[in-house]
Amino acid sequence: MSGKMCSSSNSVIQAQKLVDQLRVEASMERFKISLSAADLVKYCQDHRRSDPLLTGIAASSNPFKDKKSCVLL
Amino acid sequence: MCDQTFMAATFGPCDNCSKASPLMNIYIKTEAINYCSFCMEMMACQGLQKGETLVSLKRESDTLKKKLEEERAKLNDVELHQVAEKVEVLGALPIKTRRVLKGHGNKVLCMDWCKDKRRLVSSSQDGKVIVWDAFTLNKEHGVTMPCTWVMACAYAPSGCAVACGGLDNKCSVIPLSLDRNENLAAKKKSVAMHTNYVSGCTFTNSDNQLLTSSGDGSCALWDVESGQLLQSFHGHTADVLSLDLAPSETGNTFVSGGCDKKANVWDMRSGQNIQSFESHDSDINCVKYYPSGDAFASASDDATCRFFDLRADREVAVYQKDSIIFGATTVDFSLSGRLLFAGYNDYTINVWDVLKGTRASCLFGHENRISRVRVSPDGTALCSAAWDNTLRIWA
Repeated sequence: MSGKMCSSSNSVIQAQKLVDQLRVEASMERFKISLSAADLVKYCQDHRRSDPLLTGIAASSNPFKDKKSCVLL
Repeated sequence: MCDQTFMAATFGPCDNCSKASPLMNIYIKTEAINYCSFCMEMMACQGLQKGETLVSLKRESDTLKKKLEEERAKLNDVELHQVAEKVEVLGALPIKTRRVLKGHGNKVLCMDWCKDKRRLVSSSQDGKVIVWDAFTLNKEHGVTMPCTWVMACAYAPSGCAVACGGLDNKCSVIPLSLDRNENLAAKKKSVAMHTNYVSGCTFTNSDNQLLTSSGDGSCALWDVESGQLLQSFHGHTADVLSLDLAPSETGNTFVSGGCDKKANVWDMRSGQNIQSFESHDSDINCVKYYPSGDAFASASDDATCRFFDLRADREVAVYQKDSIIFGATTVDFSLSGRLLFAGYNDYTINVWDVLKGTRASCLFGHENRISRVRVSPDGTALCSAAWDNTLRIWA
């Protein structure tokens, strides 16, 4: 896997890196799900009216939907 | 996966004893060690004798891992769908195929929308990159890349260029010109150089910076103008298959997912891995940020899509069904974040209710695996690319 000469010292270095990384992650400030999930739900609710795929918009304003208009001459 | 370790000889101050001497440069996957040969031997011998150090480090990493798990478990006071109980149930979604874009000669592997909400770029296994006008089905530009399997393509924020890359281990930027007779392939510029295939690419907030992910296990940030590597991100222990930039204007983080089943969140300026999530049982094929930037979703070969909350630092929802046994290859959120569109290897696109965790709809139509789904910038349509050589626009 790594240079054969220093394989044992490599694993020490790798283990040290792992411990450093874990220390960084452990020091992170975390929030309870009840709080952060509430924010996610709030975002959804706030933006639901501006979501065309969710609410569906009229064919006339959606360029992809075919316009069903009949012109009587 | 390719072996990243090799030795080269240079001259300079040793990292350990600071004496100027010929150095052995050893790159150990994540870091470069420049020691003189004497210090190198000392390190090797010490390594053998310090078997205890290795053991104590392992012990410390195990305790830290356990502590992390406990911290994360403490926050699990309620499930996402419980918080979302009061939210009204989704009605029937009137989404169907509105356009079928035919023209690729082989599997379509990737696509991206332009910010003008009507153009899109797609790339395929036959080496072709095509820019389409989705309203008229017109093919505006076509470039043939010298390699097959163009696995990644992205539209520049200005709409004036596209980036693409794949098995050639490079990511190239092609400026789009209004002159249809101009040979675009001649103006192609190689920006990113990896040591393995390029699996994903995206422009950052400007046309001048490109972020790429690669099968060599790293992600990298490049300056398009000079081709210079601005920052590299090491930490994945296997191929990185996907990346996504955080949505905010000021944000400078991105998330990546790979074959090591991990999804990592990175700080673009420092190159530091800020958070790591490991709950999938198989390769993560795609990652995508929630529109608010506080969460992201991932699609995996284990047939599930999962939703991770960045502030709670844990998974908060799993989107799965016993009847879904094929891997999920791609995900994208609708504009409000309520819907999660996920493409699977069973040729279908499942639409999940993000908050309640249930499936809202299933879109049929493609005749082979879905490789990519993307919602248009104004949220009016969904584009899907598949191995049946076509792209479909759903609205």
